[in-house]
Amino acid sequence: MRCNMYPTIFGLYEPSSIYDTLDFLDNGNAKIIAGGQSLIPMLKLRVIQPKFLVDLNKLRGDLDYIEDRGKSIGLGSLATHAKISTDQIVKSKIPLLSVTASKVGDMQVRNLGTLGGSVSNADPSADYPAVLLAYDATLTLISSGGERKVKASEFFKGPFSTELKDNEILREVEFPVLEGYAYKYEKIVRRAGDFAMVGIAVLAKVSDKVEDLRIAYTGVGEKAYRPYELEKELVGKKVTRDDLEKFAEKVSATLTPPSDSRGSSSYRKKVAKIATIKTLSEVLGVVS
Amino acid sequence: MKYSGRSIKRLYDDKFVTGRSSYVDDLQVSAMHAGFVRSPYAHAKIKSIDTSEALKSPGIVAVFTYKDFSPLLKRGIGIWETYEDPKQWKFVARKALADNKVRFVGEPVAIVIGSDKYSVRDAVDKVNVDYERLPSAVSMEDALKDKVIIHEELGTNVGFDSTFSGGDVEGSFKQADKIISVEITNNRLIPSPMEPRGIIASYESGTLNVWYSTQVPHAARSEFSKVLGIPSSKIRVIMPDVGGAFGSKVNIMPEDLSVVLSSIKLGRPVKWVATRSEEMLASEARHNTFKGEVAVKSDGTVLGIKGDLLVDLGSYLTYTAPLQPAIIPLMIPSAYRIRSASIRSRAIYTNTPPITMYRGASRPEATFIIERIMSTVADELKLDDVEVREKNLVKPDEVPYTNVFGLKYDSGDYISLLRSGVNKLGYYDMRKYAEEERKKGRKVGVGMAFYLEISGFGPWEYGEVRVDENGDVIVITGGTPHGQGTETAIAQLVSDALQVDISRIRIVWGDTEIVASSMGTYGSRTISAAGSAAQVAASQVLEKMKKVAARIMKVDVEEVEYREGEFINKKDERVKVSWDDVAKAGYTGTDPGIYAQVTLQGDVTFPYGVHVALVEVDDYGIVRVKEYKAYDDIGNVINPALAEGQIMGGTVQAVGQAIYEEAIINDDGGLAVTYADYFIPTPVEVPQITSFFAEKPHVSAYPVGSKGVGEAALIVGPAAIVRAIENAVNKPINKTPVRPEDLI
Amino acid sequence: MLVRPGEKVKVKVKVNGIWYEKEVEPRKLLVHFIREDIGLTGTKIGCDTSTCGACTIIMNGKSVKSCTLFAFQANGAEITTIEGIGDSKLHPIQEAFKDNFALQCGYCTPGMIMQTYFLLKTNPNPTEEEIKDGLHGNICRCTGYQNIIKAVKDAAGRMR
Repeated sequence: MRCNMYPTIFGLYEPSSIYDTLDFLDNGNAKIIAGGQSLIPMLKLRVIQPKFLVDLNKLRGDLDYIEDRGKSIGLGSLATHAKISTDQIVKSKIPLLSVTASKVGDMQVRNLGTLGGSVSNADPSADYPAVLLAYDATLTLISSGGERKVKASEFFKGPFSTELKDNEILREVEFPVLEGYAYKYEKIVRRAGDFAMVGIAVLAKVSDKVEDLRIAYTGVGEKAYRPYELEKELVGKKVTRDDLEKFAEKVSATLTPPSDSRGSSSYRKKVAKIATIKTLSEVLGVVS
Repeated sequence: MKYSGRSIKRLYDDKFVTGRSSYVDDLQVSAMHAGFVRSPYAHAKIKSIDTSEALKSPGIVAVFTYKDFSPLLKRGIGIWETYEDPKQWKFVARKALADNKVRFVGEPVAIVIGSDKYSVRDAVDKVNVDYERLPSAVSMEDALKDKVIIHEELGTNVGFDSTFSGGDVEGSFKQADKIISVEITNNRLIPSPMEPRGIIASYESGTLNVWYSTQVPHAARSEFSKVLGIPSSKIRVIMPDVGGAFGSKVNIMPEDLSVVLSSIKLGRPVKWVATRSEEMLASEARHNTFKGEVAVKSDGTVLGIKGDLLVDLGSYLTYTAPLQPAIIPLMIPSAYRIRSASIRSRAIYTNTPPITMYRGASRPEATFIIERIMSTVADELKLDDVEVREKNLVKPDEVPYTNVFGLKYDSGDYISLLRSGVNKLGYYDMRKYAEEERKKGRKVGVGMAFYLEISGFGPWEYGEVRVDENGDVIVITGGTPHGQGTETAIAQLVSDALQVDISRIRIVWGDTEIVASSMGTYGSRTISAAGSAAQVAASQVLEKMKKVAARIMKVDVEEVEYREGEFINKKDERVKVSWDDVAKAGYTGTDPGIYAQVTLQGDVTFPYGVHVALVEVDDYGIVRVKEYKAYDDIGNVINPALAEGQIMGGTVQAVGQAIYEEAIINDDGGLAVTYADYFIPTPVEVPQITSFFAEKPHVSAYPVGSKGVGEAALIVGPAAIVRAIENAVNKPINKTPVRPEDLI
Repeated sequence: MLVRPGEKVKVKVKVNGIWYEKEVEPRKLLVHFIREDIGLTGTKIGCDTSTCGACTIIMNGKSVKSCTLFAFQANGAEITTIEGIGDSKLHPIQEAFKDNFALQCGYCTPGMIMQTYFLLKTNPNPTEEEIKDGLHGNICRCTGYQNIIKAVKDAAGRMR
């Protein structure tokens, strides 16, 4: 039992370009700091003790872009939650991301915290991973060896564990623009500003029947989760309350949420089920 | 113009809103920093401590263990003997650091002193302690078995075992139409003042100066003196601005003592300010279980209560922990005419962080127990909540009333307050609204609870009033305000007594070399005890002023009357002398100086009230308290806005206690020690709060006639909120906090 | 720029209109830099998990928690602390806090006021819900928040 306030000694590297950064990362034992809102608490707890921090602050101008590419929107990894939640392009083209960003932490945290920082941290209760899964977003990772693109479904590996290698940086997250989709991010917390006990991101295209459905969960296991196979059971039909209950029951049965101060595993499973029914009823317009 | 009874703005806010406030961490003292090596185990033998690596660490001046300190110590930290009887207790006085054994996760084992906090923190990791783990008893149930003994010297984990009884309990249970069983639990809380505690000690040439985030500078001086064998005359304790305490900063910590000892050993100032995680370990509160039976008539009359109360102490008896097991039973009868009761109260050592007092200390526990009992009686007999209470409340002509355990309630009309409160707060309309909403499928509920509080604790308080040669007034109070704003209320009382403008009054407190003696601010006592002492001192000062005025006017003092800044010759009203002139004259002549010192004795007093909560439970079992209303008879109200502030603050802590806050200790004795796991309510979780005070209050015996309001809402709030939740979900609940998973 | 472990880094910041330049360890938190290196103790430390907001300051126009930021991250930045918002007179927010009994022990007050300062800059006429949403990163243990919310509304009126 120790006090949780003072990080261990580390060195600092301030790169002047992203390429400098990549070269430096090749030396190993360095952590990237962007907004620091996930990293600094862990440094203070001494859970991580890197030899160097690489400060990307100077590169903010190059990496906090929000770019409308017609069929997709590209977001630089240093875009802050505050910027994402208020940006007009995000609001109109990828609104599920916009509403989710406005629910991350609190206002001060949103002013500093970044998309890339949160996504690379991969907290199993964080908000973005579910949204990335729902959009089927594409992440661009770069290293001195070059660039690669990874789907959200392959990026998240486990608690605080991702596809990112030690010498790689998350450069961008690209979201497809899904026209005519209804959306909702249901975040269940006991207290404002907390991590989600359960979070559900939903995107759905509905006519007289469900044309497409994407539902993804956070807080319910080791990483964000999207029940791809089960989703298909609701696509192509006019969904009833009964269908939703069966669907929610099946989804809930596959979950293995953690137990912590927020709630036990079995409670979280119940919440996931109730929230699934509630959120989907709303998004799909199912009358109960 | 009279100040009392008006919402006068707080006198000393400017420094707080501009950042010029000065809490202990803000003091510009060039001190070394202290950090603590803490036990990772709930129970273990310390085989050896190796400090050599830590001492080589940059910036480190010293590392001390208990062996370094023991030659300097006369004894360990005692208990608060003003209110607590050591003869009733089995305990081992707590040492400055763990000696040969650790008894909870987080217990300090060594202190590291260095030039800055970061280096100290690095060195803490380099102290190697070799432990031999022992089996532990983390729960009260395990500890009661006495298989694991936490203090070998005591031979048992039961620190206190006393049965409180009165009346013919067996007879009542024979007469009963029904016997109802109850089991009621208050879980462990963390008081969490926003300023974590801290201390700076400076020992130089035999004199010890201590700047201390405390509520009780004089008691701390006395305890330091006894523990260290340094005379009180050579110890000065100064209380800077204190960022909240809620009772938790009456406690004197081993860490505090270790800082003082380090300063003595090093001959230089040493400072420790707790991090939040250390503050969460330092002060925990509540945690008790009551199992009992209630004998009732079918009309709802409660004839008798018997039961067993178990109170968790944590691993050591702290300065303030003895209050709870001794006072909870006494207050269980509350304002109800319960003529027979037998309650066995036991306090248990466990391998967990020690318990201290927290706002309400014993009355929230007692109130939750008795109000749960009353509501359970109502449910079992299908009676109305208000009706059951009204049937059992002590009648106005029975007050002063002595309860079944011999505790004497001073004044009040409980039944009238309940009736008018229920009306004023719109309780039945709210119940109806909730019922209608429930028909629409929403889980809305309304609950009420009544309380009787014991406050105003004596045995005395100090007040001094000085009028200087310019006629300005300094009030030196034994109260130790730390957020309540009672300094402003005291100024109002003195302004009225002296009929001088409040801007001419300055209130001073919290320094053992300025304040001749002091008990302090706790137990909702400051206005009644310290306010009265100041008021009495002011009237004595006025008598002195009259003597001076008589001398100037060359009349007998009996002929002098004082009115609004002027001393007047009653026989010839044209002859008068101003306040300022009298003040000036007071510093010439044969008996110069205008001041009065008063040590005013006083006893407990009993405020009471009824509170109502409206809650809504969502699909996930998450409760939101939407409305909270209070109606209290707290005696005379000196500053309504300050009193309302106490109700509002207490309400939000009650919301915390009822549904959010729980210090969770795992099976290995580890506590979740961050705000990420301990849920203090934010602005989003708070209800709309409305507070009323009785128009015709029943006063206390204190000269100012106030009773106290500091703890009221936290005393009764959890019971009202839990009752509202029961109403919303139609399911019995007998503990706090109510977690979402209890409701779906 | 490379700073090896154990070496110090130069940090230059403008705080309340004055430039300061200090050499500090990279691991030094901004809140400690402001309180200890610059000596402005109005900014408080209430927790270690970025939860309580007592350390809220304005950096480059945005409210941030200075306990969750290293001093080096503020290099070149303009910072306003509680000591910097009034001048010879109190700022309307400070007045409103006083007049509405929006503080008790005063420890959360600097952070609360700085967050209000940012909130009202971005949203000069907030609803009660918006105030609560804007302030939930700041914990007050004394007041029960009701008077704080009142003070924020009052301050908004005074600043219009």
